[in-house]
Amino acid sequence: MLGILRDLLRYNAEFRIGIVLVGFVLLLSMLASFSPYPPQDVYVVPPDVPPSLAYWFGTTSRGQDVFWQLTFAIRNTLLFGCTVALISRVLALVIGLLSGYKGGWIDRVLMSINDTFIVIPLLPILVLFYFVMRDSMSWLMLALIMACLGWAYDARLIRSVAMSLKTREFTQSSVFSGMSTREILVQEHLPYVMPIVFSTTMNNMIWSIGLEVTLAVLGFTDINTPTIGGMIYWANQHTAMVAGVWWWIAFPTVVVIMTFIGLFLLAVSMNEYIDPRSRLSRMGRVIS
Amino acid sequence: MSGYLAYIAKRLAQFALVVFIGINLAYVITHATPIDPVEQSISAVTSFGNTAPGAIEQMRTSLRELYGLEGSAIQQYVVFWKRILRADFGPSMSAFPTPVSTLIARALPWTTGLLVVSTIVTWVLGNWLGGLAGYYQKSRGLKLLGVIAMGLHPIPYYILALLLLIVFGFLWPVLPITGGSAMNLPQAWSWAFVTSVLKHSILPALSLILIGVGSWFLGMRSLVSNVVTEDYVIYAELAGVKSRRILSSYVMRNALVPQVTGLAISLGGIFNGAVITEKVFGYPGVGSLLVDAVYAGDYGLVLGVTTISILGVSIGVLAIDLLYPLLDPRVKVS
Amino acid sequence: MTAAPVSFADAQQPNDDRPILSVRNLRAHFRTSHFGINRYVKAVDGITFDVKRGEIYGLAGESSSGKTTLIKTVAGAIKPPLEVVGGTVEFAFLPGYRGLHRAPPAEVARIRWRHLSYIMQGSMNVLNPVRRLRRSFADFARPHIAGTEKEFEKAVVDHLARVKLEASVLAAYPHELSGGMRQRVTIALATICRPDFIIADEPTTALDVIVQKDVLGMIRGIQREIGSSVLFVTHDMGVHAHLTDRLGIMYAGRLVEEATTGEVFRTPLHPYTRHLISSLPRIGDDVPRKGLEGAPPNLADPPPGCRFHPRCPLAMEVCSHRVPSMIETAPGHRVACFAVNGDEQP
Repeated sequence: MLGILRDLLRYNAEFRIGIVLVGFVLLLSMLASFSPYPPQDVYVVPPDVPPSLAYWFGTTSRGQDVFWQLTFAIRNTLLFGCTVALISRVLALVIGLLSGYKGGWIDRVLMSINDTFIVIPLLPILVLFYFVMRDSMSWLMLALIMACLGWAYDARLIRSVAMSLKTREFTQSSVFSGMSTREILVQEHLPYVMPIVFSTTMNNMIWSIGLEVTLAVLGFTDINTPTIGGMIYWANQHTAMVAGVWWWIAFPTVVVIMTFIGLFLLAVSMNEYIDPRSRLSRMGRVIS
Repeated sequence: MSGYLAYIAKRLAQFALVVFIGINLAYVITHATPIDPVEQSISAVTSFGNTAPGAIEQMRTSLRELYGLEGSAIQQYVVFWKRILRADFGPSMSAFPTPVSTLIARALPWTTGLLVVSTIVTWVLGNWLGGLAGYYQKSRGLKLLGVIAMGLHPIPYYILALLLLIVFGFLWPVLPITGGSAMNLPQAWSWAFVTSVLKHSILPALSLILIGVGSWFLGMRSLVSNVVTEDYVIYAELAGVKSRRILSSYVMRNALVPQVTGLAISLGGIFNGAVITEKVFGYPGVGSLLVDAVYAGDYGLVLGVTTISILGVSIGVLAIDLLYPLLDPRVKVS
Repeated sequence: MTAAPVSFADAQQPNDDRPILSVRNLRAHFRTSHFGINRYVKAVDGITFDVKRGEIYGLAGESSSGKTTLIKTVAGAIKPPLEVVGGTVEFAFLPGYRGLHRAPPAEVARIRWRHLSYIMQGSMNVLNPVRRLRRSFADFARPHIAGTEKEFEKAVVDHLARVKLEASVLAAYPHELSGGMRQRVTIALATICRPDFIIADEPTTALDVIVQKDVLGMIRGIQREIGSSVLFVTHDMGVHAHLTDRLGIMYAGRLVEEATTGEVFRTPLHPYTRHLISSLPRIGDDVPRKGLEGAPPNLADPPPGCRFHPRCPLAMEVCSHRVPSMIETAPGHRVACFAVNGDEQP
């Protein structure tokens, strides 16, 4: 495991950049614990101050320090993404492995449902949820809902791995030795599926955070818990762009773009390392 | 031929399933939650003024009736489906008494036009450039494009729309940033109107296209670099077939096949992007309609737009699915 | 079977005694560098042989003997990480160039398929899966055959009849045909331009025995009729016995023996060849076969000197540090072995 990380760091530029970006963002989120201002408080500092030595990223029209607000925002946003990713991994794994291994009518039924969730546009559904639940929709609730809607694409990927594993010899011998389906899936197949799970986790985080930012910008989430989207929402409410308070929007935007590009590069480089075919197509490099 | 018919039947069945599950989902969300949408609507509507309790009570009953929320759960379910099939979503609260279906019918052409055009442009452009990048791996220009694509692709639609708004709204105001067409033009098929529509759609389309192109580019580039190692490509090269013919007929043609499936899968996401883009640019499509409906607490409109968007995306997916065998002849046999 | 009335864009070369293919001291290596691991594989390491006009030359050897790399190099299908580091490959119809990879693209385009064609290994995937077969014929052969579209179509149909295929096959997609039919299409495709030289890379490996016999018969029939030379690569010694005129045995990137097929089978001289021949089952045999010890060498780190010496029952001291060269021990019979030829003077 560490060897793989070391190799990726040394030879893959994309991985290096990704780690730097994600590392920076993680650092920001950890700094939140040192914030002198509680995140929900408003009007604790003079409003609309541009970036300066006293207030590194400036202050908002609501009298909050953009820098410290941002640390909380990115921490909540990342936590949100991780929660969704975790729960939807479990769902995707269960459905994908079961469907791929069992085959037959279980597979057909599960995949029909699966494809339904791939096709359905999720934003209107989430908007509908918000409309109905309004203020009682905490971010945890939202995370849960998104996890229950967002497992479909990855379940299919896991299923195709499971299908190819089914025909391998070690599966047959496990069956003959009397292992139950659950045992086979967990002990034998899971390790093969983990690489896909890792790379899809990054993509899933990008997806869920992106959707959360979109919802928050529209004001369709719990806007009192600071998140990146929430900051942009409040900035819009106070017409920050027109008022010239560009730093209120700029810094959260930059940080979220860094997060996305970082996660994306990590996913791409890990994928490339794992996929033998892309490895072969890269073999044209001559020894210098 | 019978293989193809079986295929169509399967696709139609899947389409029906998607629409059924989607609309049922919408039903469950609105009817089975402890929160009453009518109450939400009422509180949204009455929060800024003084309304007599009698009037509120009247509103409540008429709303419940109009939205089919009277009666037992089974009755409500039946009424719900009956109305969906008649495309009757009741009147719009925010634009009372205009029926929701009228509002949607007015907004739908805008969204459809924007989405269809930008999706086609994005897909064709992204795949073509990505294919070239995957085939001519040494080209510096294409490598640069690849880096740009990698940078653009993870950016959420909202951010790019905002950036474009800033650039073209404040820094270089050459393009209109709100509305579907100039306010003073009548909505007739005149040249002035058409050009105005096109001008107003440039920015929303651009924000959808710039991000979308990145993902297709990257996907196609990686597909093509795999396809060039396939036996049939190597064989054609050994046969001295011209490079341009190999690129179009052997490489791109085969690499496009999974991209068509990818297009069907991505339609939902593209619609999501369109919603936010419409809101940012004030484009009068169903996306703006949806967002404004939520702000106004307009239950019927929200439900209506959700239903129509599920239906619309499913139809798009069905259309692509039905065209797929034209591209991949192998599917007929299975 | 009468020859199809096809006219070609260029005239046929006059018959002469020059070999159609002349390979001298060819060396081709793989260089890979990925995630810090460098590998340098000497897949083809000094190979010299000729192929005469109108003969079927067989190339035999195990899977890692380098035969596929050799024919790829001969065919000019050289892409990184493969590179030619030395030697020449000269075709009679493309004189003056050290190899296809050195010739200008216009010349290479001229001779590809018209003078040099290829039957690829594994008929599963060599045809474009999303296009009908008539497109493949149009892409591969049309540029070389003069005449109208109708004449071309007729020529293709006539040619398909030679491999016992109906005209309806042209309207089909590759996946709609069986493996045997696809292989026959490939043979038709490779021979329609009446090339001087055909490279056949394991064309019958994926087929069952009965289809195999048919396909081999077709190859020989067409070859005799057109007068092409064939470089036939397979690890299946039975196929060589059935089809080839001369046979070259490869081991670990080098040629170790070459003679007429009959002689190789009757009097194999090199220890490796003897093992190959003796391990073929014969009807009525009741002596158990013994396998060779060890395994084919890793071409990234081959044994010094003669590459066979770790497994050779006749290995001597000199074998471990000097490379034996191919010496004509008997007329038309070359062997690279110190035990057979004696310890030559450098």
